[in-house]
Amino acid sequence: MRAAVLISLKDLRQRMRDRSAFLWGIVAPLGLAAIFSLILGGVADPETIDVSFAVADEDGGRVAAGFVEQLRILDEQGVMEIVEAADADEAERLAAAGEVDAAFVLPRGFSASIDAAGTAAIEVVGNVDSPTFAQVARSIAEGFAGEINTVTAAVFAYASVAGEMVDAAQAAALADAAMAVPAPIVVTDAEAASKQLSAATFYSAGMAILFLFLTVQFGVLGLLEERQNQTLGRLLAAPISRRAIIAGKALTSFLLGVVSMTVLVAATTLLFGAEWGNSLGVAILVVAGVLAAIGIMFVIAAFARTPEQAGNLQAIVAFLLAMLGGTFFPVMMMEGIIGRLSLLTPHAWFLRGLGDVAAGGSAGAAFPAAWYILAFGVVTGGVALTRIGKAVRP
Amino acid sequence: MRKVLSIGYVNTLRFLRERSNLFFVFLFPMLIILLLGFAFGSGFDTRLGVHVAGEEGPAATELVVALDDLGAIEVVRYDDADAMVEDVQRGGLDAAVSIPAGYDAALASEEIVAVEFVARPTQNAQLLTQTVREVVAEQGRPVRIARFLASQGLGGYGDLLPVAEEQANASNRVTVESREAGESLFEEFQDLGAFDLSASQQLVLFMFLTSLAASADLIQTRRLGVARRMLSTPTSTGTVLAGETAGRFTVALTQGVYIMVGTLAIFGVDWGDPVGAVAIVVVFALVGTGAAMLMGALFSNDQQAGSIGVLLGLGLAAFGGAMAPIEIFPEVMQTLAKITPHAWAIDGFAELVRRDGTLVDVLPHLGVLAGFALVFMSLATWRLHRVLTR
Repeated sequence: MRAAVLISLKDLRQRMRDRSAFLWGIVAPLGLAAIFSLILGGVADPETIDVSFAVADEDGGRVAAGFVEQLRILDEQGVMEIVEAADADEAERLAAAGEVDAAFVLPRGFSASIDAAGTAAIEVVGNVDSPTFAQVARSIAEGFAGEINTVTAAVFAYASVAGEMVDAAQAAALADAAMAVPAPIVVTDAEAASKQLSAATFYSAGMAILFLFLTVQFGVLGLLEERQNQTLGRLLAAPISRRAIIAGKALTSFLLGVVSMTVLVAATTLLFGAEWGNSLGVAILVVAGVLAAIGIMFVIAAFARTPEQAGNLQAIVAFLLAMLGGTFFPVMMMEGIIGRLSLLTPHAWFLRGLGDVAAGGSAGAAFPAAWYILAFGVVTGGVALTRIGKAVRP
Repeated sequence: MRKVLSIGYVNTLRFLRERSNLFFVFLFPMLIILLLGFAFGSGFDTRLGVHVAGEEGPAATELVVALDDLGAIEVVRYDDADAMVEDVQRGGLDAAVSIPAGYDAALASEEIVAVEFVARPTQNAQLLTQTVREVVAEQGRPVRIARFLASQGLGGYGDLLPVAEEQANASNRVTVESREAGESLFEEFQDLGAFDLSASQQLVLFMFLTSLAASADLIQTRRLGVARRMLSTPTSTGTVLAGETAGRFTVALTQGVYIMVGTLAIFGVDWGDPVGAVAIVVVFALVGTGAAMLMGALFSNDQQAGSIGVLLGLGLAAFGGAMAPIEIFPEVMQTLAKITPHAWAIDGFAELVRRDGTLVDVLPHLGVLAGFALVFMSLATWRLHRVLTR
């Protein structure tokens, strides 16, 4: 055990000196997380949308005021921002310029026409690049129009079925009665706890797990380097067991992985406002992730002849798994086979587990994702151990 | 000249003999383009999950169809309610609508039926619920009128419903007239194929990234004493540098042409005017080469150059619009992007593909890129004259 620790300490010192572990483990992932969340964050983050509608009330009558009031309530509820435009031209201009997502225009004579049992129209001008929110605006207008139309239709239907003419007073009474009938279908809102990571968290976590594989590589490769530099023979000549040498290298990987991940979690939280969630839950995922990375990197090293060959193959595997695991863009959300293929990577489970922790709040939410991640480590580590004996030879 | 070519040849060979380089130069870009095409090729529609519990009656189907008819929303059907909620939570769906069992039966009786709108607590969901509420209200209107008529003692609900539907459809005192306004920023993207945008982005990203990675070879040339040995022969520093440059240029150009031809053949990517496109690739290869020479001159440890190379390669690509189109950046970032060669190359390709430009139209882009190449190369040469043997 003492020998393993000594070997590991020597490796760590060596990696500190040439700064490579620091660059791969901290600088590169931190830099990329910063750039990605700065540039792609605002674009991709669903939490930060900013929607506004303009309304031009050219009518000024009672019914139009009712509509504007309805919009104002939505504004107060924080659903969207309502901007009052002076006239139809300004509203149109705002929508065309994309300063608002859509504009409502209540034309002159709107209320009077409705009161006189005539027809009227609400105009909705949607910005061409905001189809979804223009649709929302249209729905709001249609909802308002639908209520008025339904009451009218109810009165007409009454007259038609009852086969009698209704006078104005009767019509008003019927309209009140029709309005009193509750809506037969209601919509209840069910909040689903979000398991989606914010942009800053997603890029921080994605880059952390990608570079984790390249960081733990150093410990594992040390074994092959000792052989190439012919120091392995000397180690074996000393009263040190093979197991201690392997344990020492694994320990180096483990420490490099855990330390770099810890620094990344802390730094991205402080610098970019990444929300990693429950600390214990994150710690469980990080340890599982480090073990999986060591297992996978070890199995490659076990089959490689030279450190160069191993290092190259490890880089390929690290980037391939990261790409498939959705650290650059959310591959695991894709439908069909590719989405399922994504779950064959520890990266996808790591990001998924973080989502679960974020939604569940407790450390226990890290499971079952942590078990899956660990399974990658156990399987690959097991395979590596059956082969690695051959690598520990002078 | 012979010497330059043979140094360049050996350099290229050395790079391509490394199997992992073959992967990152030829295979990885294609995989990324393929995945991006699948992931984003279908566009960014708002996705709404729909689940109908129990047996689906005609009224339930009508509601689903009404939701599907909304142009800007894509309805995705689910058989498993839990899977649907899970997809909402993970962001695969923007929201979901759960129609309860016995929906049709409840409408036919006097009951009030509740449709569940499942969403993450986001503003987007609050907006989307407005649309869903209106569609649901629309479905309820004939029912409401029929119930009103029944309450007035005019008959049974079932008999009154057809009249109610007829009147509800006929009633159009207040109408909504909608139209679109403004010039679309995205319009020119809409005609692009699923792979077109990402192909030019990834071409630029990978050519630059590969070049930076190839700087490791220059560092080895210096550290392993290859440069010293070359200089001990009757070969000038200039010749050695020209050879090293030629080697890296060949690699960058090979990759660029390969991605261009490969995506054309496999994914049918449109590159626009071939002369203009090849010109951009050639000049951008020079930019990559210059950057590689500079990296190779500044670092003396290939592990350091490797990590900084990945950071710069991916970071500048993100800045320059090789990961998300620059058109959707905030204005400040759009301006800042112009300091990266990536942005100029991507805009050049856009000129050729989306605006049907020719070589003449991309001359400004070529000029700026040549400027980048010149600056990088001059700095590298100046520095390498001193450190080539170190």
